[in-house]
Amino acid sequence: MLRTLKFFVSLLLLSAFLASCATAPDTADTAQPAAETEAELIARALAIHDRVLTLDTHADTPLRMIEPGFDLAERHDPNETGSKVDYPRMKEGGLDAIFFAAFVAQDIRNDEGHQKAKELGLQMIDAVIESTETNAELAGLALDPEDAYALEKAGKRAIYLGIENGYPIGGDISNVELYYDKGVRYITLVHSTNNDLADSATDSKGPEHGGISPFGEEVVAEMNRLGIMVDVSHGSDEVFYDAIAVSKAPIIASHSNARSVTDHKRNMTDEMLRLMAENGGVVQLTMLSDYLRTAPENPEREAAITALRDGMKPASEMTKEERQAMRAAFNDINKKFPNPPATVEHVVDHIDHIVAVAGIDHVGIGCDFDGGGGIEGIFDASEVMNITIELVRRGYTEAQIEKIWSGNLMRVFRDVIAVAEEMQS
Amino acid sequence: MAATAHPLRLSLSEIEYRAEQSLLTISLRLFLTDVNEALVFDPNSAALAFCQPNESPNAVPLLLSYLYDYFYVKANGERVDLRIKSKTLSGEGANQALVLLIESEQAPPLRSLEIHNTVFTDLFFDQSNIVYLDVDGELKSFMLNKETPALRFSY
Repeated sequence: MLRTLKFFVSLLLLSAFLASCATAPDTADTAQPAAETEAELIARALAIHDRVLTLDTHADTPLRMIEPGFDLAERHDPNETGSKVDYPRMKEGGLDAIFFAAFVAQDIRNDEGHQKAKELGLQMIDAVIESTETNAELAGLALDPEDAYALEKAGKRAIYLGIENGYPIGGDISNVELYYDKGVRYITLVHSTNNDLADSATDSKGPEHGGISPFGEEVVAEMNRLGIMVDVSHGSDEVFYDAIAVSKAPIIASHSNARSVTDHKRNMTDEMLRLMAENGGVVQLTMLSDYLRTAPENPEREAAITALRDGMKPASEMTKEERQAMRAAFNDINKKFPNPPATVEHVVDHIDHIVAVAGIDHVGIGCDFDGGGGIEGIFDASEVMNITIELVRRGYTEAQIEKIWSGNLMRVFRDVIAVAEEMQS
Repeated sequence: MAATAHPLRLSLSEIEYRAEQSLLTISLRLFLTDVNEALVFDPNSAALAFCQPNESPNAVPLLLSYLYDYFYVKANGERVDLRIKSKTLSGEGANQALVLLIESEQAPPLRSLEIHNTVFTDLFFDQSNIVYLDVDGELKSFMLNKETPALRFSY
């Protein structure tokens, strides 16, 4: 049913877009036309979406790249495989550029653990690079801001590299330059548990360093020297304040939202948003339901689950067939009573708030596809145009939308490069 | 990647072979909530109490029975017996993992290794199982899932 609905919505959008092409102005940086119909609004939004460079700063797609046979050049069904990004769907969604972040799940923090993490991180990075080389007619590896504009002009997807979690740096500062030389242009200092660089926002053991560790400060300085953006997403609040204080260049949050709108430790307080603006940095909005809205109650599902459990015999006494039947029954309940998803309206609620607190120059998009990101209406890369449609609906101009989709992040990127050049000179 | 309740469904396994020691070691790192959901249909159940003083006598048999269907390693064509040498809990809260260590004697030469890992694909259509393979220092990493349940290597 959902797929059918999406098909018809897509048809509507396509028809509206095609119908508008003949009359679309060169620039849509104008006020909303009087008495604009829904179809006209969508057509105007899609035309803007087509003109601006669209950049998503966070996808964990490199993790998919170690699946044998996975090919970014092929279109995948997200409902069958869970895959959210490939070149064909980026093109469908009008997504011009993306940061593929190599994420390594954190294991034991010793030399052996760090070495394994480094090997896996490099394997993922190499797989991305190889994909861009094999599919040079579709995509290219991007290393600086200008690369994305050139690739967009050539009709190709721009693929940037990042690393999510400083764990693969281990205790060896020279790894930062190794990753830079590979093409990495941002590093998220920490992930869901503390590492040797910094404290996590979500480590249940609490802070270990009180923010960024002394070694983490060395890593930030090295990132500044090389021209790698410092990413504070996943870090504790103290990590954010330390990064602002320590980094010589503006910082980014590659996938975080506003805590005033959704109270979650991974989101940023208004004070942090204001400081981000003073710093010249940018917060990239992410499409994770738990960070976008407080999950509503789902009493029908809870009641059905409870009823099923109440009538269930102990798992240890079940035959294999009974276990399979019980699993099917639980899966049926989950299908019948899904948790209400977050929507594109929630996304733009966060954007509205960040713009009100920090200003239009400090917000962007980092969907976290292939890392848990994906909501109703923005389920994968093929649907990101719906963000632009909602922005247009709320009155954002083309110039503002360009800043949100790429201009702000590219400004930070250029500033980071300028600081690196200054430090190296 | 999200951090809360690990919405990206992952497990981590490390398989290491050392010819000199005739030893095959398997380490499985599974989110405890996923283990509970798979075994007793309740992610937050305390009934099995893995690694606690009151651990249920059903905990390990249920786990091994589940793993038999969803995880195996074949060395030289023979299925490796999954005898658990140790098990520990790592981390806390939604990120708490059950870590299993399995050791098996495996005399050289190792001619082939087949790894099948579809744990929790019965719960989540998008479950991803990362495998680190280390055969006498030669490292490989890959992901297995519903689409690609197994890989075989020849030596």
